[in-house]
Amino acid sequence: MKTGNALRSLLPVLVILALIAAVPLFSPSNRFLSLAISAGTNVIALYGLSVLFGQTGILSMGHAALVGVGAYAAAILARDFGVGFWTALPVAALASAVFAMIVGIPSLRVGGHHFVIMTFAFGQLLAIVLTNGGDYTGAATGLDIAGPVTLFGADMSDLTRYYLMVVAFVTAAAVASWAIIHSSYGRTLRAIRENEKLAASLGINVGRHKIGAFVVSGVFAGISGVLLAYFLGHISPSQFSSFPSIYLALMVMIGGARLIEGPLAGGILVAFLPEVLNLDPVQSRIVYGVCLIAVIMLLPDGLIGGIVRALRVAFSGKPKQEAERDAAPSEARQ
Amino acid sequence: MSPILAISGLSKQFGGVTALAGVDLAVEEGEILGVVGPNGSGKTTLFNVVTGVHKPSGGTVLFRGRDITGLAPHAISRAGIGYTFQQAMAFAGLGVLENVQIAGEHRRAGGAANPWPTPQALLDFVGLSALGGEKAGVLPFGSLRLLGLALALATRPSLLLLDEPAAGLNDRETSALVGLVRQLPGHGITVCVIDHDMKLMQMLCRRLAVLDFGSKIADGPTEKVLADPKVLDVYLGGDL
Repeated sequence: MKTGNALRSLLPVLVILALIAAVPLFSPSNRFLSLAISAGTNVIALYGLSVLFGQTGILSMGHAALVGVGAYAAAILARDFGVGFWTALPVAALASAVFAMIVGIPSLRVGGHHFVIMTFAFGQLLAIVLTNGGDYTGAATGLDIAGPVTLFGADMSDLTRYYLMVVAFVTAAAVASWAIIHSSYGRTLRAIRENEKLAASLGINVGRHKIGAFVVSGVFAGISGVLLAYFLGHISPSQFSSFPSIYLALMVMIGGARLIEGPLAGGILVAFLPEVLNLDPVQSRIVYGVCLIAVIMLLPDGLIGGIVRALRVAFSGKPKQEAERDAAPSEARQ
Repeated sequence: MSPILAISGLSKQFGGVTALAGVDLAVEEGEILGVVGPNGSGKTTLFNVVTGVHKPSGGTVLFRGRDITGLAPHAISRAGIGYTFQQAMAFAGLGVLENVQIAGEHRRAGGAANPWPTPQALLDFVGLSALGGEKAGVLPFGSLRLLGLALALATRPSLLLLDEPAAGLNDRETSALVGLVRQLPGHGITVCVIDHDMKLMQMLCRRLAVLDFGSKIADGPTEKVLADPKVLDVYLGGDL
């Protein structure tokens, strides 16, 4: 019965994603599809970030660097080894995971705010290395990635097909993130988020699990990077430096890091809000800033957390503390 | 029979301050030992050094003959030493049942028969079974203390260290706690309680060790220790 509850928490996301997959039926513009694809690649990274931030309570301000490692791995593999999309995918995911471990081992020895600064520094460092990498990384110009993406012999480079493929990857990321939340591993991460000292007293190796969560988020980021590289056809260091990293953190906070709907909402909102409101880049940055402050002050569980709580109040007439479904205990297993 | 926990020559300096000055203490299997002493006598430092929160400056801690000196807190827990904190009792943002589930998922493999095979059984034991669905953060203070005890027990310790377990509890809650702790040796759990509350200690412990300025000044049967002039002197020059 409790497993049923856990499954039910996945259902809204699956329904929304099914609706999103149906969008091409309404012949959307190419601009819409392009925006949606880049939003989708972000959402995949955000699901990883939600495991790190929402479950474990660690914020990375250099997450775009992990996406960049995946993207550059895919581009270099294609150029030097003639490796295609599907082989690049696991290799790039592994590369990002290894990079996360290299960053995580020294950085996670220090707590809280210091880790945020360390990830920020590593993110900048990667951008500098890529910019000064000469022909190998294409310096400031970056790298081209030309290979076609094929699936069962079909060319996926067509915008609509690529869109559907990204939706499939987003779905996989959401299910993976949901599975982590509802596993004993997810419980362990939440214990660390709630109280590291108490978690250690119960036999949890806090340091190792924090690095592990960062590595897991790196896998999501690496996959996101490969999809992004093959979509754009060209990548450059500035795409993975501090601003994109801050945007990723902002998206996960605005959407709500602890809820399975959060990353999806955050990614879509931040991608489409300037479009809907017709804002130029400077205005949109101001709006994001204001949104972030508003969310942190008013909606600690993000937009989705706020909506869930508002619905609870509307239907039951009384506010309830536990607006998070993530904490729902699954069945007692021994 | 060799003691379950053998502390010898344990010392701890913080800068120039000596918090523990070579303490020897043996906890015997199956007993409820009390460690008492006024504030600043080194009780909590002793607790923190044994549980791995602080590294000792000198001395050794043997648990069932195995040297556990300076191990990390999670390794101490997995070795079979459970412990509770004065402050951090439970994961406030998580459900009560989930709290106990987490606590049971990282214990050492093997060990003796488990008196509480499920998280629910543990909640029954501490009297919180009706609150399994609540968030730990909304529990009243007394229930939170009991949940903290349940979490430590979920790791299936053979030795349980309690740091001021009754602090902040009213008389009724204290006697409920005493009732529970007294049952633990019957379940194969040796207990060491650290507190300065003499009333609680008299209820719980047949044997007391007294710390003062980081040194042990008395160790023996509770009545004898309480009659010891040195101990009386430490406790405000006399009357307990």
